[in-house]
Amino acid sequence: MLLREGFRLIGRIASGKVAYSIEAAVLVLMAMGTVFVFSAGADVSSNYDFHHFYEFTTLKQLMFFPLAVMVMYIASRVDHRRFSFSRNGPFKSFSVWMLGLAVVLLVCVLLFGVEKNESRRWLLVPLGPATVSFQPSELAKWSMIFFLAAFLDYFSDTIKRFWKRFVPVCLVAGVVVGLIVGQDFGTAAFIAMLTFMMLLIGGASWWHFFVPVAAAAPVFFVAVYSSPYRLNRLKAFFNPEMVSSDVRYQASQSLIAISSGRMWGEGLGMGVSKYRHLPEDTTDFIFSIICEEAGFAGGLFVIVLFASLVVMGLVVAVRCRDRFGRLLAAGITLTISIQAAINIGVVTVVLPTKGIPLPFISAGGTSMLLSAAAAGVLVNIARQTADVPQQLRRELIRSVTQAAENETQLPSLHRPIRHRRRHHVHRESSAHAKLVSSSTQNHPSN
Amino acid sequence: MKTKPHIIGIGLLLVIVFGLLSWRVFYLQYCRADTYLAQSYEGTHAHVPDLPQRGRIMDSRGRVLAASNKVLTVFIDPSQLPHWDDVMETACLLQPILEIPAPNICDIVHEKIRLSYVPIKTGITEQERRAIRQARLKGVGIESKWERYIPMEQLTSHIVGFIGGADDPSSPDKVGLAGIERRYDSLLRGSKGQRVLIVDARRFPIGSDPQRTVEVKNGSSLVLTIDGTIQEFARSALIKQYADYQAESAIAIVMNPWNGAILALVSLPDYNPSEFSKADPDTMRNRALTDPFEPGSIFKPIVAAIALDGGFVGYDEQIYCENGNYAKYRIGEWAGHSFGNLTPKEILTQSSNIGMAKIGQKMGRKNLYEGLRMFGFGARTGIDLPAENPGLLKPTADWSSYTVTRIPYGHEINVTTIQIIRAFAILANGGSPVMPHLVRSVTDEKGVVEQMAKKSNLAGQLIKPEVAHWVVREALTNVVKEGTGQQAALEKWEAFGKTGTANIAVNGQYDTTNYTASFVGGAPAKNPAVVVLVSIRKPNKALGKGYSGGRVAAPVFREIMQNTLTYIEKNQL
Repeated sequence: MLLREGFRLIGRIASGKVAYSIEAAVLVLMAMGTVFVFSAGADVSSNYDFHHFYEFTTLKQLMFFPLAVMVMYIASRVDHRRFSFSRNGPFKSFSVWMLGLAVVLLVCVLLFGVEKNESRRWLLVPLGPATVSFQPSELAKWSMIFFLAAFLDYFSDTIKRFWKRFVPVCLVAGVVVGLIVGQDFGTAAFIAMLTFMMLLIGGASWWHFFVPVAAAAPVFFVAVYSSPYRLNRLKAFFNPEMVSSDVRYQASQSLIAISSGRMWGEGLGMGVSKYRHLPEDTTDFIFSIICEEAGFAGGLFVIVLFASLVVMGLVVAVRCRDRFGRLLAAGITLTISIQAAINIGVVTVVLPTKGIPLPFISAGGTSMLLSAAAAGVLVNIARQTADVPQQLRRELIRSVTQAAENETQLPSLHRPIRHRRRHHVHRESSAHAKLVSSSTQNHPSN
Repeated sequence: MKTKPHIIGIGLLLVIVFGLLSWRVFYLQYCRADTYLAQSYEGTHAHVPDLPQRGRIMDSRGRVLAASNKVLTVFIDPSQLPHWDDVMETACLLQPILEIPAPNICDIVHEKIRLSYVPIKTGITEQERRAIRQARLKGVGIESKWERYIPMEQLTSHIVGFIGGADDPSSPDKVGLAGIERRYDSLLRGSKGQRVLIVDARRFPIGSDPQRTVEVKNGSSLVLTIDGTIQEFARSALIKQYADYQAESAIAIVMNPWNGAILALVSLPDYNPSEFSKADPDTMRNRALTDPFEPGSIFKPIVAAIALDGGFVGYDEQIYCENGNYAKYRIGEWAGHSFGNLTPKEILTQSSNIGMAKIGQKMGRKNLYEGLRMFGFGARTGIDLPAENPGLLKPTADWSSYTVTRIPYGHEINVTTIQIIRAFAILANGGSPVMPHLVRSVTDEKGVVEQMAKKSNLAGQLIKPEVAHWVVREALTNVVKEGTGQQAALEKWEAFGKTGTANIAVNGQYDTTNYTASFVGGAPAKNPAVVVLVSIRKPNKALGKGYSGGRVAAPVFREIMQNTLTYIEKNQL
């Protein structure tokens, strides 16, 4: 009953407000991130040398915040359907090109990337006086979501076919994950998980998943056991007293930071964990710093913002009338919120340590800009959904007048119509085919 | 397509996950907030002891006798410089600051490469300190310590004393081990402070925690009654005689008779307190307090005063002195003199043993004992120096039949020189008790007086003033004028005093080679400014220069007296 009341309450939120609330939540999260990254990165013991401006995480983040806002705004103004296959066909879609670029960059990073902590995750791009570092795995993650949404939309009727549809998707995902897994196990596993989730939402049959899981399991174990570093982290998580203090250090420092914040925190800038006690304080462990300096109040605020993003994002997805928008909205929302959940789980030592940043908050230009862009796309979908009644009315009036003139059939309501659509005929026919087949056979893909 | 239920299902799941994460954060921050408190505190706080500056010790005219200065030591911690190149780089950067050639620095570090503390230079200046701080050199630290300076060194060794490591080796603090430093340790020491610093993971300080910081309280300073000038007079006069006569030890004390303030106190042999660890322990004893001895003839005026005060002897009473041989009690006179009838004044002037024995007999055991107790013999004077010996005045029950005849001329009783000079101060000031003391006032670190020495109670009387005046002005001036103490005579002032040449008992027997030569007295006789005691133990008789108090000690007395009175007059003290 409570659930139903909740749904009813959510259902009453006007669609226009959903877009604004998503924008607001993302902006607040990014602003909080900038403030706390600044606080965590503040190093009172060193002298700033502004010739190396870009090397200071804190200052860099100050620069990225307005840039990210700009990116989000631009992305919210671009029609999200440009990413779908159904508009200009798969090979003129943004999604495919993005994925292709991501794969090329992933290969580049394996060849030319800078090595940090025995793995290559960053490409250094000389840009004027500064050298900008870029993380292709982030781009790969988002490209996968966009590609999957487009693919699952375009082949929605045949998605239950194992060899024709399911296996190719798995192969694409396998290439991307395979390129990343050696360098950044956490992100690779995350992309794999997102792929399965998207396939599930997109309507793939659940037993198909046995095959890739069966194939991935040995790879996973080999990956874990081949790296003593990864194994140690896992061991540290499962039996804390057995392993050396070195391995436990990060987790225990995180717990110290969180617990010392208590209900209201030590005050902004007053925390002490950031002074090299807690490694990765500006990136993966920024949530500990928030909890330390802003207390449970601050931590809860962040969690509530992410939870509301889940609700808003999925409301957008459910309300969205075109299948691509729905899949894309769900994918973006899930990516952001699952990533946040994993990060907070790691920081609060519910999950083993993994290098996954907190979206919008952790320091890191690539992650911040791309997440902002994705959020912008989500906002765009929300706007389009909100516009539907008005747009529809206009369309309807136009069609009715057209119909009166041409005596043709009314357009179907569940898809907003664009006049420049070239594949209109093809889409129509496939829809018909589906209708026909479903009327004759109960389960055509079987 | 059935996308909606999937999306709603996953969405619900995620909201639940976020709810659980919120609970986890709440659990960590509320329920387990105190679990990591100790661990967190340990990791982020450092305690730096703030050692107080030990109080100064000054003489009565403000000259510093002991003071603590801050000494800065530059050290290198080789454990922070894993590569030899780092050490060389650091050495090169230190070279211009410390003006020590870099290769020398490297050599010093190389010898102690396994340690984490290698001192490079001690006593750097403030400028050097600042330069090193600004250079932010890796592995280089500056340690600050308080170091005790005793500028007058041997001069006041037995008065000021020294500080050193405490018995407890775990405590790095130094405590007073001798002299004033020991007696007033708690005043001088101050109280330790503690700075609590917030540090990063490398334990570099970031800030301080003022709530937990304990303020340091520097020690109080002491102004002594000692006058460095008079101390120097006393020591230089005494050390000359001490060397000339190859004596075993020697003591000189200068005291203000009116309040018991000690102006100078010299005990030879002495030592350098700055290097006390190298000193012979035998030299570290303040013999004026620690070594009781049989005083001999210098004791006679005290007994005479008690006898006169109690009316046991008249001023002009004729006492028969047995012509130099009091056979019944086996007493002879010094240097084979023989006297017939003598008045008390003549007895003191001629230092007649038999005369004193007879006075003792006239008084009787009880009166003699009580009179001496009244003068403080057999008990500590309470002087503010450690390790005072009370001496020995046997209770009358333990007295033999001879004792009552022996004590009046200073045998069968053990006294310290400080007890003797106090008794003479009482005689000199007209019979009022005084307390020998060394501290004039206690001041805070800025010199504001916190506490003054207690005023001596001059109102009380141990003996009648006329008796005291008679002993000083009649009898003891005569000793200097025509008796045994003629070498003590001063040019400008009328001195009074008493010689003493006491046998030293060796294995229970007196012999004819070991003596204590003493002279106690004061000047000017009418209104004594100071009383002075000189006692020289075991002057080498074999040198043939003499061994008596009049010969050995009186000239020292005269020199000290002459200089001191001139000095006091000139400076109108």
